[in-house]
Amino acid sequence: MNPEILDVWKRPLAPEPREEMGFFTDTTLCIGCKACEVACKQWNQLPADGFQWTGMSYDNTAMLNSVTWRHVAFVEQFDGDGRQPRWLMMSDVCKHCVQAPCQEACPTGSLIYNEFGDVYVQEDVCNGCAYCVAACPFGVLDRNAEDGRAHKCTLCYDRQKDGMTPACAKSCPTESIQFGPVSELRERAERRVAELHARGETDAYLYGAEPSGEYSALNAFFLLKDHPNVYNLPEAPRRPSAHLKKNYLASFAVTLAMAAVSAICFARKAR
Amino acid sequence: MTAEQLTETAALALVRRSEPAAAGQDYYGLPMLKRPLWGWEIALYFFGEGISSGAYVLATAADFFGGPGYRRFIRVARILSLATMMPCPPLLIADLGRPERFIHMLRVFKPSSPMNLGAWALMGFGIPVTLLGVAPWVGVRLPVRLISLLGLPPALIMMSYPGVLLSTTSVPLWMHTRMLGALLASSSMVTSAAALALVSAIHPFMDQRAREAMRQIEKSAHICEAVTMAAFLIRGRRVATPLTRGRQSRLFWYGAVGCGLVLPWLINRAQGKKAGRGSTIASALLTLAGGLALKWSIVHAGHESALDGDANRCVTRATEANPGWMRH
Repeated sequence: MNPEILDVWKRPLAPEPREEMGFFTDTTLCIGCKACEVACKQWNQLPADGFQWTGMSYDNTAMLNSVTWRHVAFVEQFDGDGRQPRWLMMSDVCKHCVQAPCQEACPTGSLIYNEFGDVYVQEDVCNGCAYCVAACPFGVLDRNAEDGRAHKCTLCYDRQKDGMTPACAKSCPTESIQFGPVSELRERAERRVAELHARGETDAYLYGAEPSGEYSALNAFFLLKDHPNVYNLPEAPRRPSAHLKKNYLASFAVTLAMAAVSAICFARKAR
Repeated sequence: MTAEQLTETAALALVRRSEPAAAGQDYYGLPMLKRPLWGWEIALYFFGEGISSGAYVLATAADFFGGPGYRRFIRVARILSLATMMPCPPLLIADLGRPERFIHMLRVFKPSSPMNLGAWALMGFGIPVTLLGVAPWVGVRLPVRLISLLGLPPALIMMSYPGVLLSTTSVPLWMHTRMLGALLASSSMVTSAAALALVSAIHPFMDQRAREAMRQIEKSAHICEAVTMAAFLIRGRRVATPLTRGRQSRLFWYGAVGCGLVLPWLINRAQGKKAGRGSTIASALLTLAGGLALKWSIVHAGHESALDGDANRCVTRATEANPGWMRH
């Protein structure tokens, strides 16, 4: 028997929980050098996703996918006469949601929270059902056509285990990508927002530093300067499982009602 | 994702935008979400498992409430249930990226994932349905009533979970209303009743009373389907456009609504209680085609919906209950 088949059924002891680690991506510091994209590809040995021009901006990566775990978005804004352009650049990444829809959807238990509180795909377990792909409200996860499994940012789980900084944060020349304990990052981010506000940049705000409505906080959160849609982020992401119980109940109620009606019909026409 | 897929995704997003976003309020028209990867396998699976679980529920209801006159009906319904259940596991396995790892679905029990619950339900349903389906031919005497009772809870789950599975995603069309579970469940009941009527018209195993009971059941499930479908479309509005105006719209309107609801209703109205063999067959075939069209179009319209950035921006607008993070 293939030992791999048995391995996934074994339950070793879970590692001791450690301090929650995450990313704070300060988009006001991003210069769009794409070092994070390159470092991520190199460290994680991810294949290139084709050499092509999108023709829309300097962003030729376009989106995160199964082999691209960092993506630098280039937003070009011009006012009326085009003389005062503004560039917003953002290094996008898996948000490592504290309560992740992909993890909730995963039917095999492949998607887990690791000891650093980050969302991780166990590739030896994933069977490529693609439920996480449909569940993620940020369009991060994707199934790779070649190996049939879902892949995404691991927040350099392997590097973290050795006490190292994830490749993208390590390579970022402007500290736009900051890595560290989430509580510390949040404090730092709030100080940064206050500093920017004091300078008159009052449009700066934190995206995902705390829970909001039905959605949890993000362990990889951002400092943004414009509406989230401008960066291709949802304004207020919805948690797919927020109405799971009600959906189950409504569906069961209708099913049971139809079963009861059929029982009554049979009973009335019984002999 | 290959370069071709990437380009296709981007191009689709640019072409299929039905309502442009406010100037500068999107990212070059690129979609926010990834296309859900479920295709024809899942559409056919929902159709097959719907007939199978519906027929099982009908057989069990007839067994416990219908009295001895339903013996042949129960037998045929159980065989139909087994026959339509058989292609289900292969379809699900074929849909996986790693088919050889299908059994990993049963590695954990996790009802927070409707797909996991569905895998367990298919397991708990498959065994009794197989035993009951083959029972008439094996010499061993089985505790038939006990087995059929044990299979009833998983059968009810099989009927009600597909819509819940689709709703628990970020695809605007699927997640926006809470009607999908009820809609797909009632379609399952309708199609299983139609399949039994079809078998009965070809090989008459139902007497007059059974036919009348079945007609009432089909009628009530049809009403339930029409009501939930109307509620789904009305509540969905803008978000439902991939279904009502998109590439699946013809299949949806002509197939799911026309063949599945309107024509059978017209035929039954014209024929009254003394429906002839030809009209029964026609009505049953149309209903079955409509049920398949409904499930096919809903699964496939999800692809278009996920790539519809405007629909997604629409359902993720900040509300009082879910304010998001931007404060200006």
